[in-house]
Amino acid sequence: MELGPVFRALIHNRARFLLITLEVALTLAIVVNCINMVLDLRGKVLRPSGYDEANLLVVTLEPFAPAYNDTEYLHSARQRDLERLRAFPGVRAATAVSAVPLSGGGSASGRKVEGAKGDSVPAPYFEVSDQAIDTFGVKLVAGRNFEPGEHRDWFDADGEEHDRPAIVSQKFADKLFPNGDALGKRITNSKGLSSDIIVGIVETMFNSWPQADSISGHAMLLPGRPEDKRFILYMVRAEPGARAAVQKGIEDTLLKIDSGRIVRVRTLEEVKARTYGSELGLIKILSGVVILLVAVTAFGIVGLTSFSVNQRRRQIGTRRALGATRQDILRYFLLENWLVTGSGLALGLGLAWALNYTLVRMTTVVGASAAVPKLDWGLLAGGMVLLWVSGLLAALAPALRATRVAPVVATRTV
Amino acid sequence: MLAYHLRIAAKSLRRTPVLSALLVVGIALGIAVSTAFVAAYHTVAKDPIPSKSDKLFYVTLDSWNPERPWDDDHPKDPPNQLTYRDAVSLMASTIPTRHTAMFKTELTVFPTTREERPFRARTRVTFRDFFGLFDAPFQYGGEWGKDADAAPQAVVVLDHETNQKLFGGRNSVGKQVRIEDRNFTVTGVLAPWYPKPKYYDPHNDSFETPEEIYVPFRWTLPMKFVTSGNTSGWKSYGPDFEDKLESESVWVQFWAELDNARQRETYESWLAGYVGEQKKLGRFARPLNNRLWDVKAWLDWVQIVPRSTKTMLVISLLFLVVSSVNLIGILLGKFLARSPEVGVRRALGASRRHVFLQHLLECELVGLLGGAVGVLAALPLLHGIERLTRSPDDPQLLQLELPILAAGIVLALIAGLVAGIYPAWRICRIPPAAHLKAQ
Repeated sequence: MELGPVFRALIHNRARFLLITLEVALTLAIVVNCINMVLDLRGKVLRPSGYDEANLLVVTLEPFAPAYNDTEYLHSARQRDLERLRAFPGVRAATAVSAVPLSGGGSASGRKVEGAKGDSVPAPYFEVSDQAIDTFGVKLVAGRNFEPGEHRDWFDADGEEHDRPAIVSQKFADKLFPNGDALGKRITNSKGLSSDIIVGIVETMFNSWPQADSISGHAMLLPGRPEDKRFILYMVRAEPGARAAVQKGIEDTLLKIDSGRIVRVRTLEEVKARTYGSELGLIKILSGVVILLVAVTAFGIVGLTSFSVNQRRRQIGTRRALGATRQDILRYFLLENWLVTGSGLALGLGLAWALNYTLVRMTTVVGASAAVPKLDWGLLAGGMVLLWVSGLLAALAPALRATRVAPVVATRTV
Repeated sequence: MLAYHLRIAAKSLRRTPVLSALLVVGIALGIAVSTAFVAAYHTVAKDPIPSKSDKLFYVTLDSWNPERPWDDDHPKDPPNQLTYRDAVSLMASTIPTRHTAMFKTELTVFPTTREERPFRARTRVTFRDFFGLFDAPFQYGGEWGKDADAAPQAVVVLDHETNQKLFGGRNSVGKQVRIEDRNFTVTGVLAPWYPKPKYYDPHNDSFETPEEIYVPFRWTLPMKFVTSGNTSGWKSYGPDFEDKLESESVWVQFWAELDNARQRETYESWLAGYVGEQKKLGRFARPLNNRLWDVKAWLDWVQIVPRSTKTMLVISLLFLVVSSVNLIGILLGKFLARSPEVGVRRALGASRRHVFLQHLLECELVGLLGGAVGVLAALPLLHGIERLTRSPDDPQLLQLELPILAAGIVLALIAGLVAGIYPAWRICRIPPAAHLKAQ
């Protein structure tokens, strides 16, 4: 029985139903695109960086005492600091670094396979003192760790470094040596003047710029004695559960050793959250938009179904008087709702795709991946189910009210 | 007549308070969301210095590697900064009204009181023209003299905050500040100043506040200043500080103020002449590619507007469309439910025009109320966006300016009008007789 009358009633009130169809379609388009971006951003923020993020602390020292202008003093001061840090209760390992992973600021040079033609690829690197691998918590999967004697100055008088050992991330090794034979190979800068030998490979190790997709996961550790006297950087790995106590304690310890410097201790998670600040914010904003939008559309459907019911009280009464059950009435309004949301969702598929296309186009920059990923079908299907269910729930209350219209209404004139 | 229509409209809204509140809240949501994101977009995309954005030029020269362009994806682009030696050479020109080479560094400042710990101050190393170029407002004193641009003199300009920190906000002109290993004399204190974006040096953080202290460029060599911005190089150099200053690495920014086309042409040919001379010395092996970027072109080049801000602008405007469509649907229902009453009014002589206008006015009333509530709600929303996307120690960036606020209200009125036309048209075409018969 149902479809015919429902359909004819829709045609009769086409303007209102078209509006809801349009609203549902637009909502689907926006919601699916927002969820798409949220999932993409979450995936980026949550992907494993290789570091023991939960237990790592970042120490920034900004010395202002003139003694630090002397490079030898700088090195001995750092050695003293590291010894004290390593002796601190709850500290598992500590190392000096030239830049902080995931921080958004660091250094990169260029490297290519020795003798290869063409340009070098960007090679983000960290110059580190001993204990770097253990401090970071990265997993050495091939080759060896640095040896104590290798933490020295490597630059020769010509301003180049020669055959300096390097531990690289698997991804960077694969980029340079797709055949998987990176270990023991020599890599050079584009002119072939500076060179490193790959002595070890670690599984996953992010560089300082986690958002730079083109060099994501490319990183290189070089043994040395970081020389920047403006910023002395240490990474400290705490035993599980000891991070908070260590963070509190080491600031005082470092100031007690020498007060001629500004000391700041942050967790790596804080550093990462700051780097990802806009992504984390955007995730919340987009989620908020989705919730608000679904709510607005649901209200629209509540309103529409209510009017639909109110307008047809007499008709419902007549049907009830002629023997229609309450289930029949409920089925009628839910079917009407399904038809309207259904056509809205169908139209929304096209709109969602169009909006996605526009956003991808708008945010694509030459040389970088788009800020908005392409839609996939699973997500579209998920969005449709979400709106279908929301629409159904929104229509349920007014439709149930319709079932309570008494048959006697049919006999009243007004 | 208008007053009468308004009274009827208000009465009609009051008669169904819950529904009217829903209508207003619905449109207010759309207005709040779109106004907040329009404001956010406006903050980052607007002209930061409208009075002279077409007269200020960021200068770039292509001194890069002959074998490879600066940017592989945009091979025609020159490097985004200058070498130290070129920047210093360009200062010799007398053509620009004002000009400055500059970069950012961090220096340790020692407060006069023993209790305060020394702190690292974000520092701009620059020439005296900086302040005039970018209309930096002075609270006390002014920029240093011309002689401090010629040879190093221990003079410094403080920003408002730093003067608060060091001197409690008092006029500190003539007072001494210990910076690194020597005492500097304060020549000026800036009034609060926060150009958005930080167009004169947008790299690293485009929306941070200007630097805390300003010192003469000539100190770069004697005090061995190291940039805290980006350095890019393609040619190695020796280990000494002087080697870096003579190197091909780019790390210095350069701005010139050119008031008219003639001045600009003269300057362009002067630059071409300079690069020509350098070519004879074996530098600048790439094709001649001197560029003068005005503020707008410069900000476009550095892609100042975050991609997420553009995305959110589109999404928020679509949100407004959805809430408007929602409004049409509910208004239509509300009006049609009133058909019998309108039928009676029509039968009693109300013209179609009057019925139409009265209902449209009711929609505009909803739009106006929704707009007012919406822009009010946009304020906390904008605050929320700021809280969510920036860290708590960043300065307050986003603000709801009056024009954007007004635009929010106008947008609401347009939404009310657009949403109201169809329902009002439908209701004014109710035949007077139909509903009388039913009664």
